[in-house]
Amino acid sequence: MPDVILKNLPFLMSGLGNTLLLAFIGIVGGTATGLILAILRHLRVPVLGRVALLYTEIVRGIPLLVMLFICYFALPALFGYRSGAFQASALGFVLFIAAYLAEEFRSGLRSIRTGLEQAGLATGLRPAQVFRLIILPQALRRSVPPVFSQYVRLLKFTSVASVIGVSELTGSALLVNAREFEPVIILTMTALTYLVICSILSFIGRVLYAQLQIRT
Amino acid sequence: MSQSPKIAIRSLSKSYGATEVLHDCSIDVGQGEIVVVCGPSGSGKSTLIKCINGLEPYQKGSLTFEGIEVGGAKTDLPQLRSRIGMVFQSFELYPHMTALRNVMLAQIHVLGRSKSEAISRSMQLLDRVGLAEHASAYPANLSGGQQQRVAIARALALDPDVMLFDEPTSALDPEMINEVLDVMTRLARDGMTMVVVTHEMGFARKVATRVVFMDGGRIVEDRPTEAFFSAPETERAKEFLSRIITH
Amino acid sequence: MDYTFDWSPIWNNRDLIAEGLLITIALSLVALVFALVVGVLVGTVSASKSRIGRLVAGVFVECMRNVPLLIHMYFWYMALAFLRLPAFSCAVLGLTLYSSAYVAEVVRAGIGGVSRGQTQAAQATGLSPLKVRFLIVYPQALRNIAPSLASLSSQLIKDSSLASVIAVGELTYQAGAIEGQTFRTFEVYITIALLYLALVLCVSRGILALPGMRHAPRVAADA
Repeated sequence: MPDVILKNLPFLMSGLGNTLLLAFIGIVGGTATGLILAILRHLRVPVLGRVALLYTEIVRGIPLLVMLFICYFALPALFGYRSGAFQASALGFVLFIAAYLAEEFRSGLRSIRTGLEQAGLATGLRPAQVFRLIILPQALRRSVPPVFSQYVRLLKFTSVASVIGVSELTGSALLVNAREFEPVIILTMTALTYLVICSILSFIGRVLYAQLQIRT
Repeated sequence: MSQSPKIAIRSLSKSYGATEVLHDCSIDVGQGEIVVVCGPSGSGKSTLIKCINGLEPYQKGSLTFEGIEVGGAKTDLPQLRSRIGMVFQSFELYPHMTALRNVMLAQIHVLGRSKSEAISRSMQLLDRVGLAEHASAYPANLSGGQQQRVAIARALALDPDVMLFDEPTSALDPEMINEVLDVMTRLARDGMTMVVVTHEMGFARKVATRVVFMDGGRIVEDRPTEAFFSAPETERAKEFLSRIITH
Repeated sequence: MDYTFDWSPIWNNRDLIAEGLLITIALSLVALVFALVVGVLVGTVSASKSRIGRLVAGVFVECMRNVPLLIHMYFWYMALAFLRLPAFSCAVLGLTLYSSAYVAEVVRAGIGGVSRGQTQAAQATGLSPLKVRFLIVYPQALRNIAPSLASLSSQLIKDSSLASVIAVGELTYQAGAIEGQTFRTFEVYITIALLYLALVLCVSRGILALPGMRHAPRVAADA
């Protein structure tokens, strides 16, 4: 490993730690929020379903960087609270990725044939039971590949937090570069690190899908 | 058939927007009767059978199951459906569950049977349709005929009073049709009340007590099996029979 | 919420915003064209029979899309610093490489989605391989992938905001500049968020309205 990297390894590793933490928060928070949004829309819940639709359409039309600026500068200014860069970016990632995940979950839900729903109803299951026992489990299985590619996107997107001053992997790399000025080596190593962690995450997704898919 | 009918359909009409798919249909199904419903595709057979357990709503007329109006606002549809078994054209087994779990699901969540009770009842039913050794198989690993037999076991698991079959063999390869028809024939011999939408005229002739012929959303003929096959009253039924039987 | 809204700084800086919008459009358009060209080439190779070709295309795709766009931006800006390229070109390069990987994946799937029977039927009528490709395979694939291409294009527009970190004067960059002078944080970011939203909506709807992007109307199937 190049000297510049070795010398700054602890610092870069703490950056990597922040990247993973941000991604983890985004994945957990975004999945929960996205699933709720998707279910509200799928079940056509009055008012809330419309709100969910509006939310996903708006957020999916806005760049992540602008979303982070809104969470870091605009919302605190509007509501008069203070926010650290880390909290603001974590909030931004959750709000941002939830909209995309909602779309994936919803198309998973829509892909389940109505025949299966009828079969469930015909055995006397109540609509809520049909949804919980038959529709949702299958929709979630089917959503695994697109949902994991959103997770990978999110993992890459955490780099944008560096723009508002979070020292995650990219932010730390830029700080090291400012001191050492070895952009090619430092950025290449950073890129490779992302390549590896993104590949691991997609691999987990593929294994999970294969496990769920063995029989169907 | 002196007692009141199990299923009584009176002047039933249903439309999607401007298109009427059922027009003034009336049928009675008595205890132990096997009624075969046939007719060209698009004649409304599937819609009619799905009205019986409330999967399809209707706008006019009345449809009662043991005296309960299926389309009534206060009707407890899940409770009603738990007493009517249904088998679909494309099986509709839950793909994420084994054959056994498919048969168990409603027993646990609808009838409230214990898990062990549900398992033993399900195994008994899978054995009855000849699939006990496939209990742990997933639908994707079963042939069409096997899937449909599991679907029959799933419907029987609720110990229904009536069984509805919606073209149960139409999606099957020819060599698998008989294994499903055999199960249905045995069921009929055991005294189950059945309404069967099918093109299998051999089955109808052998098993049905009555044949209902539909065309264009109307019931054109409703006659005892022998009479229907030996001397259909209408031209349309004659034409339909000649087309189906010559093949 | 005791924030007093003041939208006048936005109006006063409308020239900067318009300039930023224009640069965003130009940057996105140029990068989109390049990304489509590279993506179609790479996608075709990765749908081809050549094992080496598939391997090379696969490595390209994985390397390009598993690296954050932000790193692409910094890398091409700093690594090519000795060439003294304008920041705009570096941004185009970064956006192109990153997005082309996504285009390639979509194109590969699109080509794979055209049934082999179609190719064989076309070959059986004596069409040359190139004609089979351009007359039969690509047009069908295009219709299938049009929705994905539309969403990739709007993705690219949103992604172009990251060019602001290497000082390309596009919309997000101008927003930062206006915010720095006027401190009208909320108004500035809401304004540009709405502009992006409008741009993305126009593009995603517009692309699907182009000829050749939609399926031929089907004859109503018999019920």
